[in-house]
Amino acid sequence: MNPDAMALTRAQRAALTAASFLLLVIATMALGPLISGSGWWWLCAFIAAGVLFSGTGLRAIRTPPSLVPVLGLGVLLLLLTLFFGGATSIALAIPTQATFELFGDLITGAQNTIQQQSVPAIPVPPLSFALALGVGGLAVVTDILVQTVRMPALAAAPALVPILIPGFIIEAGAELPTLVLTAAAYLLLLRVDVRVRRRARLAAGDEGGGVATVIAPKRVPIVSTLGASLGLAGVGLLAASILAASTPSISTSLLLGSPSQSTLFGRGVSPFIDLGRDLRRPDPQAAFHYFARDGDRPYFTLLTLDRFEGEVWSATDRAVDGDNTVDAMPQPRGLSQAIATSEHPIEVIVDEVSTTWLPVPYPTARIEGLRGSWFWDRDSLTVRSVDTSTAGQRYNLTRLAVEPTPSQLRNADGPLSEDLSPFLALPEEMPPIIPETAEAVTSGAGSSYDAAVAIQAYLRGVDFDYSTEAPVEEGYDGGGFDVIAQFLETKAGYCVHFASTMAVMARLAGIPARISIGYTQGSPTEERIEGVQRMQVDSHDLHSWPELYFQGVGWVPFEPTPGRGSVPDYSRPGAGEEGAPPLPGGATSTPGATGRPDLDPNRGLAGEGEGAIATAGQWWVRGGILTVVVLLLLLTPAVLRVGQRATRIRRIRRGDRPADAAWDELVALTIDLGAGAGDTETAREFAERIRARPAFEDARSREALVRLRDAVERERYGPGGPARSTDPDAMVADLATTRSALLGDTARADRARAVLMPRSLFDRARRAIGDRAAIRA
Amino acid sequence: MSEAAVTMGGTADAGDVGLRMSIDEVGSRAAAIVQNVETVIAGKREAITGALTVLLAEGHLLIEDVPGVGKTMLAKALARSVGSTVSRIQFTPDLLPSDVTGVSVFDQASRRFEFKRGPVFANIVIGDEINRASPKTQSALLECMEERQVTADGTTYVLEQPFTVVATQNPVEMEGTYPLPEAQRDRFMARISMGYPSPADEIAMLSTRETSSPLDRLEPVVTLDVLRDMITAVSHAFTSQPVKEYAVELARATRDDRQLRLGASPRATLQLIRAAKAHAAMHGRDFVLPDDVDALAGPVLAHRLVPTSRALGAHDRDSGPLIDAIVRRIVGETPVPVGSARRN
Repeated sequence: MNPDAMALTRAQRAALTAASFLLLVIATMALGPLISGSGWWWLCAFIAAGVLFSGTGLRAIRTPPSLVPVLGLGVLLLLLTLFFGGATSIALAIPTQATFELFGDLITGAQNTIQQQSVPAIPVPPLSFALALGVGGLAVVTDILVQTVRMPALAAAPALVPILIPGFIIEAGAELPTLVLTAAAYLLLLRVDVRVRRRARLAAGDEGGGVATVIAPKRVPIVSTLGASLGLAGVGLLAASILAASTPSISTSLLLGSPSQSTLFGRGVSPFIDLGRDLRRPDPQAAFHYFARDGDRPYFTLLTLDRFEGEVWSATDRAVDGDNTVDAMPQPRGLSQAIATSEHPIEVIVDEVSTTWLPVPYPTARIEGLRGSWFWDRDSLTVRSVDTSTAGQRYNLTRLAVEPTPSQLRNADGPLSEDLSPFLALPEEMPPIIPETAEAVTSGAGSSYDAAVAIQAYLRGVDFDYSTEAPVEEGYDGGGFDVIAQFLETKAGYCVHFASTMAVMARLAGIPARISIGYTQGSPTEERIEGVQRMQVDSHDLHSWPELYFQGVGWVPFEPTPGRGSVPDYSRPGAGEEGAPPLPGGATSTPGATGRPDLDPNRGLAGEGEGAIATAGQWWVRGGILTVVVLLLLLTPAVLRVGQRATRIRRIRRGDRPADAAWDELVALTIDLGAGAGDTETAREFAERIRARPAFEDARSREALVRLRDAVERERYGPGGPARSTDPDAMVADLATTRSALLGDTARADRARAVLMPRSLFDRARRAIGDRAAIRA
Repeated sequence: MSEAAVTMGGTADAGDVGLRMSIDEVGSRAAAIVQNVETVIAGKREAITGALTVLLAEGHLLIEDVPGVGKTMLAKALARSVGSTVSRIQFTPDLLPSDVTGVSVFDQASRRFEFKRGPVFANIVIGDEINRASPKTQSALLECMEERQVTADGTTYVLEQPFTVVATQNPVEMEGTYPLPEAQRDRFMARISMGYPSPADEIAMLSTRETSSPLDRLEPVVTLDVLRDMITAVSHAFTSQPVKEYAVELARATRDDRQLRLGASPRATLQLIRAAKAHAAMHGRDFVLPDDVDALAGPVLAHRLVPTSRALGAHDRDSGPLIDAIVRRIVGETPVPVGSARRN
């Protein structure tokens, strides 16, 4: 496969390398719509340049050609260590075992981030690492194809990889300008190659003086090169479009990930259902524990639900902002200077819980010590990761305790800004019991705050029972209108019902409301050092609670669920009134045995049960589609070849230059079988050569071959045009005879390759780009 | 193939297809001639068929080889096999043009000048060691070859058809030789060389010629008329457009080749096709294949090509093998046409 083993000069190799580099980096630009920023691209370009040009350098110092790809991989490793190895490497360049472990973590992180991030993804270190590794690998492959094997036409294959990826993920696929640029770069590479090849041949002729090896310069039609390039670009575009069209259900906003993949609460699915399931499980599962000073017993928020559409509560799907790193989190929204705040350090050690949402108190000022990339959400200040999970994390956070007084809250009434309106949104249609109850409860309230306190007091009243069992029936695990109405009737339920009812009633009362999901403060353990208490939080501490917005204070949590969690001081009925004795701070009402959720030890947190199966199913579907598409693409040459044969046989039957068709088919078959020769072989020479094969010792096939040969000679060069008298059936039979003789003479592996990878097609394509000499073995 | 397989005497009418000798018969007759000549010169089938091809294509043949390998014998045996008249001219430096063409002598009885025909008035003229003659004499013969007539004292004498000159030439440079200039070499349709016989053939030759020359016993296998019919049939062999284009492409490639100073002339292309026709007919085919062209490219083209001095430099001044290699390469590189409908 290496027709011209002549050495290229350094300048020629450098030109080829530069062209391959250009092709690769331009093709990598196709990933642009998927990843935000451009730093990743510069990194990829640097890595590609490092690998490709080091290959050229190695060849320039006459490194054995077979070693160059291996050394190229070494260079890639070196560069990756330089960029990502950090302290684990020796002198920033030599990887150690720790470096490889780090790389392993980065790859795992990249898998996570690909599943979790939406488009455009933030190039967090694991993603950058994966990109650098991928592009570096492609660079090595390109180097092999262009320099070692000397088949630059095949460099389209690695370049197609980044081109195709957007087609899998976003419906539009790669952007057209990128495709055009890539095609142009490919064209340039081919052009450079043709020039280099031609010069190399001439040079070899001059130096060697070997007469027979000298090949006169041939003009290569640029049109055919252009055509081949555009053709390949077209195939890429087509493949990307087909992929995008054939996988509409998975071409969502996620990077190859399913929405609920390994997250505690998936977006788009009501988290309440998972929460209800978790609460009904028997034995608790340790979620995490934390060390906090006495009196500092916050709720830990995982996720905040702000959208309510009558049926489900859900979180607004916001893309992660890469600038929102957790080392500095902003002031909570709406908090004014007048409100007393204090900072409390808390150390959290995660035990069992594994989710991409980080349990943090609201609000938190900063978090330190996290592994992976974590980002806060602009509105809810919830913290999520795009490349890792909470598993095994240990972090220190600084909680900002907001301590408003009831009078501050009471005076917070005022015109609300426009952007709070989503937190007041309620569907028009709702069961009448809800507004009626709300009206009855809040009728006497003089302010928003009083209304909120009244609602909380109503729900915490003796009429309502905490029960995860009460009406266990289909659909009751939600927070929709129907469920709230039923809940107001039966007056029994658990946190989900209390929280959603209070949130809806608050919205009815004109108070912006949302629901937070997370953990209560947990239970104290015996471990206590110098006023720092170790608190254990487990799966039955999962909780949901409403948060209401007050002008100048911000989001303030309430606790309408009886028997769970702790009621904030400012929300107790009568709190802040003149003369009222302050209630003991942090009064914790531990749920009684009856209120305890029914726990199931075999079921972990959400995402492992049906969710995991569904996810796996999706992956099967995705993998299946991908496999089918890849198989179809791989089978394309075989299908084209079969079609070509059928066309030729039709031509024989139709009498449209039948012998020519039969002969072409025969020649193509021998090329497929690896016994082809160039277009300088006459039919007679071809027949002589083929007849020498053992398969043609049989007189029948030998005669069939000669008949075909005579027919094609007469048809091509004889007088009177094609021989009309030839019996088409006889000719088809002769063709079949010679074909089976040829196939019978060939090893099974070669036969399979002839069918799957018909070289006659590739040779034709190669001839189209002016590479005639390569065909002649 | 269904044409009348009748051998017609006399000159065949070129326009009358029905009276032409069938192509199959041309093939069998040619085979008979080759076989007949082979009884005299064993193991030289290639040279014999080459010579017969030139004879059938109405060309002239240049046999270039060292002395004593049977050049003259080949020419004589061929002439005798086809029952044609044959004459032999031994070229020497002092040979005059009139020694070739003929001379006008004054007849005392009729008191007029009378033209005495020279040895060129024969069907096959063997010009031995043509490169030993002076250029003037050489050109006299070469004029006859081209014009196929002799003009003396204002009278034109047309040479009898077929007329073929078989010139032999020693490649070894000797004193007193005048190498044929390129323009004159171009007039020969083909150049062949004999080569030394194999040891077995040489031993066989020793025994057959112990007592007498086998040439004396050689009988014609075809008459001169049959030969003319064969020539007519050859000239009517069909040449398809792709094959013509192929021949032109080969010639063009020699003109463009970097190693050649002088490529093939249009006359070379014409003669290549003519020779290919004869080659096809001798193989019983009424149309020319690219294979015929390939087979004759070497003999027909090689002696017309002049390598560049640079290409020659590496080859120790002996251009023969170099040019043969160049022709082989050009033939090996030029794509074979596959029919006008598929030309791109």
